[in-house]
Amino acid sequence: MDTATVLQSLISGLTLGCIYAALGLGLFVVYGVTRVLNLAQGEFVMLGGMLTVSFVTVGIPLALAIVLAVLMTMLSGLFLYRFIIYPARHASGSTLAFLTVGFAFAIEGITLLVFGWEYRSLTAFLGSSSIHLWGATIFGQAPWVVGMTVLMVVGLFFFFDHTLVGKALRACADEPLGARSVGIDINRMALLAFILASALGAVAGATITPLTMTAYNVGIPLTIKGLLAAFVGGIHRAEGVILGGLLVGFAEALSAGLMPTGYHDAIALGLLLAVFLARPRGLLPAHGVAE
Amino acid sequence: MKPEPRGKVENAAYRQRAAGAKPDKALLEYRALRAEYGELVAVKDLSFAVSPGEIVCIIGPNGAGKTTLLRVTSGLLKPTCGQILFRGRSIDRMPAHRRAALGIVQLFQDIQLFANMSVLDNVMTGAHVWTRVGFAASALRLSSAVAEEKRIREAALNELETVGLAERALEFPGALSWGEQKLVALARALMAHPSLLLLDEPYGGLVQEDISRLTALLRDLQQRGVTILMVEHLTDVVMDVADRVVVLHYGEKIAEGPPQRIRHDERVVATYLGE
Amino acid sequence: MMRELGVIIPAIADRYGVRGGRVASVIALAVLLTLPLWGNTYLVTVFSTIALYSIVALGLVLLTGLAGQVSLGQGVFYGIGAYVSAICTVRLGLPPALAAVIGVVVAGLVAVPVGRAILRLRGIIVAGVTLTVNLVFFYLVVSVSSLTGGATGFVLIPRFSAPHFMRYSTFVFYLAWLLAIVCLVLTLHLARSRIGRALKAGNLLAGGSEDTAQVLGIDVMHYKVGAYVVAAVFAGTAGAVYAHYMTVIEPNSCGAQFSVLIAIMVIVGGVTNPWGALLGAGLIVGITEFFREVAPILVGGPTGAYELAAYGIVLVLCLLFLPEGLFSLPARLRRRREA
Repeated sequence: MDTATVLQSLISGLTLGCIYAALGLGLFVVYGVTRVLNLAQGEFVMLGGMLTVSFVTVGIPLALAIVLAVLMTMLSGLFLYRFIIYPARHASGSTLAFLTVGFAFAIEGITLLVFGWEYRSLTAFLGSSSIHLWGATIFGQAPWVVGMTVLMVVGLFFFFDHTLVGKALRACADEPLGARSVGIDINRMALLAFILASALGAVAGATITPLTMTAYNVGIPLTIKGLLAAFVGGIHRAEGVILGGLLVGFAEALSAGLMPTGYHDAIALGLLLAVFLARPRGLLPAHGVAE
Repeated sequence: MKPEPRGKVENAAYRQRAAGAKPDKALLEYRALRAEYGELVAVKDLSFAVSPGEIVCIIGPNGAGKTTLLRVTSGLLKPTCGQILFRGRSIDRMPAHRRAALGIVQLFQDIQLFANMSVLDNVMTGAHVWTRVGFAASALRLSSAVAEEKRIREAALNELETVGLAERALEFPGALSWGEQKLVALARALMAHPSLLLLDEPYGGLVQEDISRLTALLRDLQQRGVTILMVEHLTDVVMDVADRVVVLHYGEKIAEGPPQRIRHDERVVATYLGE
Repeated sequence: MMRELGVIIPAIADRYGVRGGRVASVIALAVLLTLPLWGNTYLVTVFSTIALYSIVALGLVLLTGLAGQVSLGQGVFYGIGAYVSAICTVRLGLPPALAAVIGVVVAGLVAVPVGRAILRLRGIIVAGVTLTVNLVFFYLVVSVSSLTGGATGFVLIPRFSAPHFMRYSTFVFYLAWLLAIVCLVLTLHLARSRIGRALKAGNLLAGGSEDTAQVLGIDVMHYKVGAYVVAAVFAGTAGAVYAHYMTVIEPNSCGAQFSVLIAIMVIVGGVTNPWGALLGAGLIVGITEFFREVAPILVGGPTGAYELAAYGIVLVLCLLFLPEGLFSLPARLRRRREA
């Protein structure tokens, strides 16, 4: 176990952690405002990457391609809310979660139809392939991933704390009845939450595709890891989700780097599951009195 | 007071339990009980006892204390410290379903009938405590399971007849009025052959006719040897039904005694009845 | 034979309170059982698969429909049944029938601690946890490749020692349907028993109340774990039969997608209705086969894996318009006509 391997694992861990944290944040936004577990969050990520790749392949410059991809993904988020979630808004949490599963499957199927089953990739944003640091290799895209997540976190915190819309969203999450009584339109806020989550997912997707490639079926494992991140850390607070994401990322990377015998996936996941079962409310529980 | 099970219900365990209660020994006793609900101290240093066959009413201003006390007694909430004794045995560590087997059954303020089954099934569920049939016997529909099921059904129909709702047996709770639902909940609780019934505002939302009906039922239960501990707001009812009244104020007992004496107790009048 | 059927069917109808539509189901089932006599091997295989999936789905009807616990991890027990049975036959040399029984037993035994750990949790989180458990299982199976054949799968699993006068596929068809009917009957019995009431009482998804159940003497955890174990046993049974039927198993056949698909089957059929498990299984397998066999002819090219979109659309439509599952369709249409 030399320092190079450890360092490599830590860097991978940070990168992965940022990916899962971004996923978790998307889940957090939707769950917090609507109490719906959006099991299609991974699909937004997939769409972001897939669409970006397609636009770039057609010759559209990268920045514009990303913007277009994000916009289109936001449209799908709007569709999900308006035509699938909203009609069933009085149903139970499980029904709503299954509805998102149905949507996820449909997205996967349509993506398969339109784009085929091959893996696609994107060149790293600045073109450079890797940086070498103390014996460890950092893929050129990694700093972009980390940077994207940091920006996302800072942006969200600013949004929730300092903008009217953001504060309204938070009010819905913390106190739905109170929010309604001061005239906040819960319906609009829910729609906004879904669109925001899809945008976050798409941005994350576009950013990670140079690192992880994309295909029609990458959504589900991403969703599961995002769920894990959210629950291990505590889905009621953004800090919890971020912490959870980092934990999952580090667990995966460290176990892969230090235990290359093939069991690392199972062990890492199993450990995280055990952590969750030990503290089902999340490592960082909600503010105030427990539900 | 000799307990006499009515109807065709045959249950040796019930008779044994009822016979076991000695008239002068307390059935239920709280000793320095303290219970917290979240950050609120709902019950503070509470001590009193309930004798078998009594109807005791707990009254007091609105606050978590009274309902919390019932929940601690039935086992849904753990006390922070102090003791609860049932027939002289400490039950603080006992989970709720085991206390039901001992004979402690609670009814809730919001009734809580199972919406996913018929009235009859609801009442039949009450029999769970004294029935035995397990997964295997039920799945294979062994003759013992079929026989027991028949007994439960008959007992349930009996209880429904007692409360006058036998014709509604196959309907679902949603179709019944509030008063009728309360009666079904009571029938369900009675199926469990309770020796101690914990009632949380049983008279809430009832019209005068149902109030008299309920009082008659409770008195009848008392004749059958069931002890009743109830939380109630309506002062007329309390004065009418209770053998003894305990007054709680922010979790502390401020008075205890027969209803007429409590009515004139200065402290009680000052803090509660005067409001 | 017809006279016996004439007596049995109404008797069955009476016993289970089955009405018109469901008597039709029993008749359809009886007709189905004659399939090997006139259908080709392909049809027989498809319907055997439907039977096996029904068994897993029935477990979910018990667990989710009755007890109110969402589980997206039944694939784990299906996989345990399949892999343990395969390992016992191939690596330990045991006869397939015995190995299958061992597989089922192991599935049930594993379900006890897993159930106890998971069922403490409340809410939709359980779905996520069961998915994760499924994923862990998947990774485990792939890593312990010396034992399980890893990602490429376990091949050359011996068949059951079937009688020689019938085709193997026919034998498995009857075995699978016998098991399916047995599991159906067991589930129907449980639903209408003291156990069924105890489970429904604690079912938060459907109007039950755990507190009330507890104060009436029902140890809700005990019964939920019981339901979880039964569901695991059902899934394990289906898995074990599958292993010796297909003689090949691979990690994907018991992964997260499989588990979600089973959930879709019960939702489409009607979560609380044991007959719905068969209907749902039939429909989903039907969709899969349609895209695999029929659609390529219509479209003129391979359409493999497009069924995903179909599953998703069917699920969404069902949840939005028929939340009680397809079995409620006749009742709904009747209500529409009367209105």
